[in-house]
Parts: sequence; structure tokens; C-alpha cells
Amino acid sequence: MKHATRTLQRGLVWLAFLGIAAFVLLPLLWGLRTSFAPDLDNKVIPSFLTLKNYSELLSRPEILLYSRNSLVISLCTIIVVLPVGLIGAYALARFQFVGKNLGFVFMIIPLLPAIAVLVPLVAYMNRLHLYNSLVAVILVNSVFNLPFATWMLRNFILANPISIEEAALIDGCSRVRMLFTIAIPMMTPGIVAVVVYTFINSWNALIYSFALTPSPTLRVMPQGILAFMGSWGTQWGGITAVGMLALLPPLLLFLIFQRTFVAGLFGYQLK
Amino acid sequence: MPSTRGIEKAPAGTFETIVGKRSLPYIFLGPALALILFLLVAPVVQGVFMSFLATRGNGAVDWVGLDNYRILFRESRFASNLRSSLFYLAGNLVLSAPLAYAAAALITGKHRQAEYFRGIFLLPWITAPIVSTLLFRALVDPQIGPLGILISRLSGRQVLILGHPVWALVFVTVHSFWRSFPFVMLFLSAGMSMIPREVYESAMVDGAGRWKRFTRLTLPLTSNQLAIALLQITVWTLYDAETIYAFTNGGPGYATETLAVRLFKSAFINFDLNTSAVIGIILISLSIVFMAVYMRLVGSGGGDAQ
Repeated sequence: MKHATRTLQRGLVWLAFLGIAAFVLLPLLWGLRTSFAPDLDNKVIPSFLTLKNYSELLSRPEILLYSRNSLVISLCTIIVVLPVGLIGAYALARFQFVGKNLGFVFMIIPLLPAIAVLVPLVAYMNRLHLYNSLVAVILVNSVFNLPFATWMLRNFILANPISIEEAALIDGCSRVRMLFTIAIPMMTPGIVAVVVYTFINSWNALIYSFALTPSPTLRVMPQGILAFMGSWGTQWGGITAVGMLALLPPLLLFLIFQRTFVAGLFGYQLK
Repeated sequence: MPSTRGIEKAPAGTFETIVGKRSLPYIFLGPALALILFLLVAPVVQGVFMSFLATRGNGAVDWVGLDNYRILFRESRFASNLRSSLFYLAGNLVLSAPLAYAAAALITGKHRQAEYFRGIFLLPWITAPIVSTLLFRALVDPQIGPLGILISRLSGRQVLILGHPVWALVFVTVHSFWRSFPFVMLFLSAGMSMIPREVYESAMVDGAGRWKRFTRLTLPLTSNQLAIALLQITVWTLYDAETIYAFTNGGPGYATETLAVRLFKSAFINFDLNTSAVIGIILISLSIVFMAVYMRLVGSGGGDAQ
């Protein structure tokens, strides 16, 4: 009797897991299927699989251009966010200074609407002669990723025991040297989390580029997808193939770093 | 969160003695503050300013005070924008919270398969909004989309979900829900894993059933995480323009045109900068209200919530 209820319970748990997974995976798997299926094939299992959509895509020079732009923006955003965030986070975590309580602002700023700030930002970038340049997009991406990244790193530094740093300082190590030889290496998981977080956000961002770089040669992947959706209409094979290509980099990073990433974002250790 | 102790001893003869110990924290925070001040705070201030201006046909700019606001508030289109925004937001929150609780309970429990499923459940969160939009559009295509075909078969005629004023709004809301629930789930899971197991064990000894344990223990003990996660989702949903723009362009008519979509269209397609500045200020004001709520929640004993 008890054995039966336990089996039933286990079955129900599996059912719940699979039900939610089905909801999550339906659009993704259908997109994957469509990208390998011949046009207008609406059977669940397509009559045959084809690489036509991908080979057509990869033969288009603009796909390479868009991915390159996206990659440049994402990597440069990381290059700005990581060092700026690290030293800022260290100050917030370890120093006592007037105005320290304002560090809380770093947690609040992500709640500001990027879209509302974009209109004045366009005018701004215009005056700085940065309008219609990748630099503008990198700067805006950095600003919108920086507050959360700083806050995340601050929590990581706080989680590390301060005694090691104190010991180094007492032994005559300068604070700047201690930061680079002891404090930063100790928080590798936090740094990984910030890098993955910043990369995924910048890679996926559309509106900053939409607002700041109208020139077709500066388009990023999401902008390209929006344009394809407009001009290709219902050529779902091609459109879903672009979507799958754009999903690949964040997916790979996520699969490799899932554990560190999630733990880093939430500051708690997962089993 | 551990309390912070400053390190007060610093050796002499280094970088710090040159720049002065007192200024070091400000130097460390300087770059971050400069970026935020110039590229976030300054544009907000300028946005407020722009919302009081009107650009005439000849390019001249006039100070018109609150006229832009008055004109907008009288529009029936604006009322419709506000209604769509609220539906989009409320629908998303109402759908996300229960599923997020269920999913969080599953991935936090001691099931061997939990870790793999957690990875799967998080996929919507890392998918670019524009990519999930195209995937959802493919789902309801009346020719090849399984949902589109199913609905056509059930109703006996070809139905364009994204062409129907009510169903279009419902569908974009479901898409937003698909994207949002994993984030709420992660927060709730973090909260649930902090509840000591003894709390549940003693409740079970007292004879509390599954439902009672959820409503009397899990729900109140994770209310902080729930509030914070829902607030972040609120903000994301309120500001989301690109997905609806790519789904329906705000149509049919203005049925799915939320405030953010209106702002997006007026700013970057019609280049009506003053109207978009006004909508921007309205969105910022809304978010300030939410921030106040956020501060209160985090300030009132929820200090351990991230």
C-alpha cells in the first residue's frame, strides 16, 4: 500500500516535470524542426530533413556581418563592465566611506526603463558624434548591465572571508596588489557569472541598436532577424534557422556555465 | 548577508599613500558612477525637459509646459495603450506566479532529475526576445504552425490569432509569461532552499497536509522573493516594446499597442520625440512607484533577499 502511493507520487512528480518541460520546449523544438524541414511541410515529423535553410543562410554575407557586429558589441561590453564593475564592487563591499549607503542605488537602477532613456540618449550620442557607431551601442549596453553586475560582484566579495585579505595587508601587501593577487582570484565564479550574464544580455539586445545604429552595415543579429521577419513573410524554414543560429552562442555559454551562472546570479549555492 | 568590516590598516609607500587613503573608494567607484551619471541620469533629466517642449513644423522648438501631457491624456488611443499595458502586465503576473511556484518546488525538491530540468526550465530566460517572438509566430502560423492548425481545425475556419484584437493580446501575453516564469522560479527556488527542513518536519508532525504546508509555510516564507521577482518582471513587461512590435506592430488597430510599443513607434519610426519623451516620463514615474515598493519590501526585514 505504502509502496503503491510512493510510486504514484513519483509518477505525479515526473508528470509535473515533463508537463512544464513540454510547455517550455514546444516553441523551441518546433522552431528546430521547422529549420530542418522542407517548406510548407506541416507534419509533426517532416517527410525528410534538409540543410537547405542553413546553407542558404550561411551563403548570405550579411549573416556573417551581423554576427560579427553582435560579437564585437558583446565582447567590448564585457571589457567595459567587468573591470569597472569589479573595482566598484570592491569599494562597495570592503571600504567604509561617506555615501556608502547609496550603493543601494546599484540595485535600483536596473528598474529604470531603458526604452524611456533611449530618446534623449540618441540626442546625446549625436552631440558626442557617436550616433550610428558601435561604440554608442557598447556604451549603452555597458551602462545597462553595469549596475546589476556591480551588485552581483559586491555580494560575491562579501561572501569571501575578509580575514585572508586582512592577513595579506598586515604582511605588507598593498591594497591594490592584494586586490589583484588575492581578492579577484578568489571570486572567479562571480566573474564567470558576470561575463556570461553580460554576454547573453548584450547578444540578445535589440532596442539599443535599433535606436542608435540605423546603418545596415552596423546591424546586430536581433536587428537582422527583425528585418528578415518583415521581408521574408512566412518563409518559416529560413526564419527559424536564423533564430536557431542566434540562440546558439547564449545556449552554449549557458550549458557550459549553468551552475556557476545561476549560483552567481542569486548568490546562493545550488546542490 | 555578512556585515561589512572595513580594513583600516594599510601599509605605507604604495599607491594609496600617493592618492590618499580616503579618496580610494571614490576612485574605485568613479568609473561606474561616471558612466551611470552621464548615460543614465543625464538622459532622464533631459527626457523630462523634452517632454515640456514641442517641435513646430518649421523645426522651431517651443516650451509648451504640460500641453503634451494634456493632449495625450485626452486621447482615446492613450487610454487604449494604458489598458493594453495593464492587461499585458496583469496577465503575465497572474500566469507566472503559480507556474513559477510549481516549477520552483520541483527543482528545489530532492528529485534526482531536478538539475537537468532546471536547465530546461531556464531556456526561455536566455532566449533573445526577438528569437522567442519568431518561434511563437511560427507556432500560430495558420499554414504550418501546430497551434494555428489546431485552432483552425477546432473552429472549422482559418483563424489568424495575431489578427484578432483579443486573441492577439492574449497570445502576446502568453509569450511574455513563457519568458518570465523561469526568472520568478529561480528567485522562489532561492527562497525555498533557505527554509530549514525542520520547519516542514515539525509541521508534518502536527499533521499539516501538503496544501496547508504550502499556504502556511512556503508562501509566507518566500513572499519577499516573490515580491522582488514579480517587481522585476513588472518592470520588464511594462517596458517591453520589441516583442509586441515584432508580433503585431501594435495591431490590429491599437489592440496590442502598449505604452512601450507606442513609445517605440513614436520615437524610432515616426520620430515624434516630444510625445515619446512624455510616454517615457510616464513609464519612469510608474517605475519610481515600483521602486518605492521594492525599497520598502527589501527594507522591512527582507534584507537577506538579494
